Amino acid sequence: MELTKVFKGVDLFEGMSGDEIEKVARICIEKRFHKGGIIAKEGEVGDELFIIMDGFVEVVLGERGSKSARVVVSLGGGQIVGELALIDQGPRSATIRASSEPTVVQVIQRKDFEELCQIDTRIGYIVMHNLAVDLSFKLRHRNLE
Amino acid sequence: MPIYKVSYVIIGNDNPGSILNQEEMPKKGELVQFGDKTFEIIEVLELVPPRGEFHYIHVTCQTVRKKGKSKK
Repeated sequence: MELTKVFKGVDLFEGMSGDEIEKVARICIEKRFHKGGIIAKEGEVGDELFIIMDGFVEVVLGERGSKSARVVVSLGGGQIVGELALIDQGPRSATIRASSEPTVVQVIQRKDFEELCQIDTRIGYIVMHNLAVDLSFKLRHRNLE
Repeated sequence: MPIYKVSYVIIGNDNPGSILNQEEMPKKGELVQFGDKTFEIIEVLELVPPRGEFHYIHVTCQTVRKKGKSKK
């Protein structure tokens, strides 16, 4: 299916016109992972945001430290992950691991995203607002555990 | 078409729960499967007001032995 149509089911793009979604789709790169494949590693510097298109990923905390690693949440289709690196440019706060065969993600590079936002500030505003809503939803999920 | 962004929390089990977008509103009493385990939905809450087509739902589940609809 055409990427822009699929993106209409992703809340990161809620509020965008078809043309705006098309502009974001142009900076996305598809990546495929086998079950168990590492998408991003805790502690490493990251500059990519991932949109899960097919399958599930596990968010794993504690692989870097002395604590035993534990899966804190499983994320499925339509979810975004790795967004903190896009916002604060800090190291990855968790490992992201593919947990289904296959797992398909769309990747947005920070540099490409920032360039797009400078050209089209409305897209930047909508994405940043939707990222905040998504982070709020994840926080509420954690609070209700 | 509405899209439901659903946060699944499992009680009484070490399953970490899931967040996913789906096209059907989850309902109390339904069975869902994560991995090789089946869970029964015991509570459904609308967490925050909908935005556009997106509805933000929180679901609490508990373990059952029966097989149910597969989510993963």
